[in-house]
Amino acid sequence: MKDQRDWSRRDFIVKPVLWAGAASLLNRTNLLPESSPTPAAGALIERTLGKTGIRLPVVSMGVMNADVPGILRRSYELGIRHFDTAAVYQQGRNEEMVGNVIKELGIRDRVIISTKQVARNRFTDASEVKKRFISGVEASLQRLQMDHVDILYYHSVDSADAAKADGPLEALQTLKKAGKTRFVGISTHNTIEVLNAAIPLNFFDVTLVMLNYTMARDQQLLSTIERASKNGIGVVAMKTQAGGTVRPDPKLPKLLAPASQTALLKWALNHEFVTTAIPGFSTYEHLEQDFSVVRNLAYTEDEQRFLNDQTFVAEAEFCQQCGSCKDDCPKKADIPTMMRSHMYAVQYRNAALARETVVGISTGRGLDACKDCASCQISCRHDVKIARKIDELKNMTLLA
Amino acid sequence: MKLRFFLALILVLATDVLHAQTQDVHQQQLTRFLSSPLPARTTADGSPSFYKPDSLYQYIDGAADVYLLYDFQSLLHQDLKNVTAQLTADIYEMKTPEDAFGMFSSERSPTYKFAAIGVEGYRSRGLLNFVQDRYYVKLTGSGTNSDLVLDQLANTLSQRIGGIRTLPALLRKLPQNNVVPHSQQYIRKDPLGHGFLSPAYVVSYGSVKQQSKLLISQALDASGAKGRIDQLAAHFKQTGQCASAPQLGSNGIQGKNSFEGSVIARTEGRYVILIMNPAPDGGEILKAVAKSLS
Repeated sequence: MKDQRDWSRRDFIVKPVLWAGAASLLNRTNLLPESSPTPAAGALIERTLGKTGIRLPVVSMGVMNADVPGILRRSYELGIRHFDTAAVYQQGRNEEMVGNVIKELGIRDRVIISTKQVARNRFTDASEVKKRFISGVEASLQRLQMDHVDILYYHSVDSADAAKADGPLEALQTLKKAGKTRFVGISTHNTIEVLNAAIPLNFFDVTLVMLNYTMARDQQLLSTIERASKNGIGVVAMKTQAGGTVRPDPKLPKLLAPASQTALLKWALNHEFVTTAIPGFSTYEHLEQDFSVVRNLAYTEDEQRFLNDQTFVAEAEFCQQCGSCKDDCPKKADIPTMMRSHMYAVQYRNAALARETVVGISTGRGLDACKDCASCQISCRHDVKIARKIDELKNMTLLA
Repeated sequence: MKLRFFLALILVLATDVLHAQTQDVHQQQLTRFLSSPLPARTTADGSPSFYKPDSLYQYIDGAADVYLLYDFQSLLHQDLKNVTAQLTADIYEMKTPEDAFGMFSSERSPTYKFAAIGVEGYRSRGLLNFVQDRYYVKLTGSGTNSDLVLDQLANTLSQRIGGIRTLPALLRKLPQNNVVPHSQQYIRKDPLGHGFLSPAYVVSYGSVKQQSKLLISQALDASGAKGRIDQLAAHFKQTGQCASAPQLGSNGIQGKNSFEGSVIARTEGRYVILIMNPAPDGGEILKAVAKSLS
C-alpha cells in the first residue's frame, strides 16, 4: 500500500474525487444514509425515544456480555445514560451487577434502566403466563434493587401471534399501572412480522430490533422500523456490529480493523429513526471505541472506505434467518442452520462445534440432503454464499 | 449402472445411520442420567427436549452466547413430576470439566446458599444448581416438598454423573487464607474487562463488601505474559497512573484509576498475576502465588 508521502499530485486530486463519488453513489442507493449533522464540539448527540420523552445519547450499553462493574462505572463516567439488561443474562447476575453499580454510584435518577422478560411458550393458559411473567419481573426488580425500571421489554418475541398474546400484554399493562415500569417495549429478531403486528396495537412504547449494515438493502425491514418510529414507538438498535470483528470466510484475515466497528455503529445510528444503540462491549477498549462515535456520526475516510467496500457485506454473509432459501431448496434442507454452523466454524473459530452443529440437524435436512447436489443452486437475497459455505462444511465433515 | 446406484444407496444409508448414531450419543448419555427410577417417585412429564449449539438460543436466547463461549455441547431439558411437585431438569454438557466450572461460576454469586454436591452447588427456594465433571445441572421445582425432592434428585444425578468433583487444578494451588468462599472463576473471555488477559482464573479475597480480586492470566509463554503486563500498564497509564514496582518481582507494576481502583501485578513464567484493590499484604500474596505457580 502506498505511503501517503508517495502520492503524486494526481493522487491527491483523483483519489478524494473517486471516494467522494463512491460515497455519493452509495448515498443515492441508500446503503449509506446521510450522516447526522455534527453537533457542537464536545456535545453528545442525543435523541428522544419515541413518545416516552426520554432523551438519550445515541450510544448506550448492552450489558449482556459484561460482568465487570468497572465497565459500567467507566461507561457512566464517559456519558452513557442507558443500561440494558435481562433476567436471563447470567441467570440474574447481570441484573444484580447493574443494580449494585447503580446503587453504589447513587445515580438511579440519572440513568435509564431496561430489562426484559420472556413468556415461556409451554404455558398456553393466558392467566398462568401473566402470573409467571409478573413473578419474573418482580424477581428482576429485587435483583436490580429498584422499585421500578424505565423500560420493560416483552423479550424475544418471534411471531405476530406472540406479539398479540393476551398473557404477556396483560402482564405488561398490570406492571405499568402498578408503577413497576414506566414504559413497555417489545424485543424481536423477527422484525417485519412482529412490528407489523405490534404497531397497530398502540400498546408498546419502545421496540428493540436488530439493525446492521448487512441489512442495508432490505428496504422492507428499514421502512417497517421507520414506520414504528413514526407511530411514536421509540427504536433501540441491537446487533449493530453484525458479528463483531471476525469474518465468516476462513481464507480472509481473521480480524477487521477498528474502523470497521465504528463504521458499523455509525451506519446504524445514521438512521434518524433509531434513538440509541446498545452495543454489547465487554472490555474497556471496546467501550471507548464504541462511545467515540457519540459526538460525531460523520464517517472518517477509513470508515467510509470500509463501508464503500461492499465486500464486507458479502464477507460478513450475515444470515438473516429469513428462511426463504428453505422454500427454494428441492430437498427442503435446513440451510439457515447450516449457515449458522459455518458461522461457528469461522466467526467462533470452532470447527468441532461447527461439525457437531451440522450433525445435529434433522436427518434428511442437513448435509445429507446436499449430498446428491454437485453444488448448491440456491441464491440468497442477502448475499450469503450458500454454495461455498456448504462445500466448506462438507470438507469439515470429511476431515472429522 | 444399477450396481453404482445400489452402492450409492448403501453409502447414503450407512451415512444416515452413522449420522443418527453420532447425533444420538450425547442424547443417550444425557437421557441415562434421568432414567427411571428417580427419587420420590418422580417421573417424566412429557418428552425431553434436546438443544445443540445452533439451537440453544431458541431456549435461552441471548444468554446462549456465554454457553457457546465455554464450548457448550448439548442440553437436555425435561419436565418432571411426582404426586405433589412439578420439577424441571436442565443438564448442560460442556466440552471439559473446566468449561463446565467456568460456565457455572459465571452464573453463581458468592452470596448464594451453597450445597455440597459435585464440585459445588447452590440452592434457593425452588432451585438447585450444581457442577460436576463436564456437566452443569440446573433443577427447579414447585409444589409441596419440592425442595426436598430437588435435593434427592440432585444427589441421584451426581451419583450417576460420577467423574471429576474438584476445582480446576490451578485454583487448588492458590493461597486459601481469606478466600471469599465460592468466588473462584475460570473466565474464557475478557476477564475483568481486559481482552488481552484471556483466559484467566479469578479469586476474591477479603469479604464480599471489601474484597481484592486475584487474577491469573495464562499466556502461551513468558514472552506472551510480558506483552500482557505491558498492555495492562499502558491501560492504567492512559486512564490513571502506573509505575514500575520491582519490589513485587518479575516485571512488577502498580497503578490505579477512578473506575477500577488500584492494581499490583507481576509475571511468573507464562502467567500474569495481578491483584485489584489489594490488601496491605497484597505484595506478599503476589509472591506466594508466583511461588506456587513456578
